[in-house]
Amino acid sequence: MGSEKTDEELMLAYAGGDLLAFEMLYRRHRGTLYRFLLRTLRHRADADELFQDTWSRLVAARERYRAEAKFTTFLLQIAHNLVVDRFRRLKPQASDEEAEAVFRQLDAPEGEQPERVLTEFEQRRRLQIALEELPEEQRVAFLLRIEGGLGLDEIGEITGAGRETVKSRLRYALARIRARFAS
Amino acid sequence: MSARDPDDLLRDGGGEIGDLYRRLPRYEPPRRLDRAVLNEAARAVHSGRPPRRQRWILGVGSAAGLVLAAGLAWRIGHEPMSANDAAAPAEVPRVVPVQPIDEPARSRREMPARDAAPPSAAAAPPPEQQRAAAAGGDRSDQPKPLRKQRAESKPAPQPPQAQAPPLPAASPAPKAFPANEHEAEQAPDADKAKDASAGIAPAARGAAAAEKRAAAANALGRASPTLPSSSVELQRDMQLAPSDWLAHIRDLMQQGRRQQATESLRLFVRTHPDRRVPPDLRELLD
Repeated sequence: MGSEKTDEELMLAYAGGDLLAFEMLYRRHRGTLYRFLLRTLRHRADADELFQDTWSRLVAARERYRAEAKFTTFLLQIAHNLVVDRFRRLKPQASDEEAEAVFRQLDAPEGEQPERVLTEFEQRRRLQIALEELPEEQRVAFLLRIEGGLGLDEIGEITGAGRETVKSRLRYALARIRARFAS
Repeated sequence: MSARDPDDLLRDGGGEIGDLYRRLPRYEPPRRLDRAVLNEAARAVHSGRPPRRQRWILGVGSAAGLVLAAGLAWRIGHEPMSANDAAAPAEVPRVVPVQPIDEPARSRREMPARDAAPPSAAAAPPPEQQRAAAAGGDRSDQPKPLRKQRAESKPAPQPPQAQAPPLPAASPAPKAFPANEHEAEQAPDADKAKDASAGIAPAARGAAAAEKRAAAANALGRASPTLPSSSVELQRDMQLAPSDWLAHIRDLMQQGRRQQATESLRLFVRTHPDRRVPPDLRELLD
């Protein structure tokens, strides 16, 4: 087997008319994109709709794709834009101030934190709940990091936030997740 | 690890939270979505015309239609002039008169006066044309059979009202075109002289002229010069760099052209799906 083509090469090949390249690209990223949307939007119907819409827009914009842009960033940028549109029509999320209260709970010594004794099933359940309860911006940053594998700069590029802001959102997200384990 | 430090998340794999996250259910898109996406990608490739180009083609096609229509209208408008030129003495030497061997000497003496209408001899016109030529003593009547032939060669024969526009009433041709058409019809002698100067296939020429007029009518009808201004402006917006485009949308907002700004922004989002919409413009999308 020859060396595998990168995402960027596949995308350029698809822009040139190579459908197999798109299928390979799609297989690689369908799960990541779907989970990002599902966990961000929390509703399967919304995730389905935006999943299809994201790929549709990517197909439409394939000729504008340049290899300098990392494909994952390009794809998740499109998805994020759609998510922002969707959220804009919904009620505003809770403010970050709530997280400050959470931090106080986390000042307890590590040994006393109850996550140590939770079963794995319970840990997963709590993580899922914690993700759902995260404010939108924190959840997006968290998912772009963990699901998309993006760094601070890439997350900042997608969300339009500065590096420090992204770091702050991740910090708050982590704090809230840990607070869920502690409760 | 401090709870306030996100470095754990930024490690490869996202640290312990990342490990836990990966043990969550690995949701996958349903198959119907796979099919829909792959079908759309295939359609885009097989259509041979990517969506972005389609939009450009719309604009370029409209512009090309206008140019074609203007060109044809100009051409038709100038045909009488060039046809008159064809009838002028300068054109005469191009046509070699061919006389019947048994033509009387008197006819030969009249030949220079008939040079302007050589097809009667050179192209061996159909009998009806010869009859018409024989019946009419006036030279200006000579080309009438040609005109009739042209009319017959049109796809849809005209009703007896000779001055009626040749296009069906349903065709939304602008006013300028019927004027040109009328003008062209009013200058049959010129056309006929031109046909005569060509000396070949007058019927084919008539058909070509009819097709040309029909094409001009269609082009004018389809690519009306009165395109919606917003459409033209949107096409212009698409040529801007993304940052310039957004600045232009802000300008529209400042000018109070909110509807135009909204349309332009919607088009921007479709054209550049990977670009973020600035917060100050997001309200336009609501």
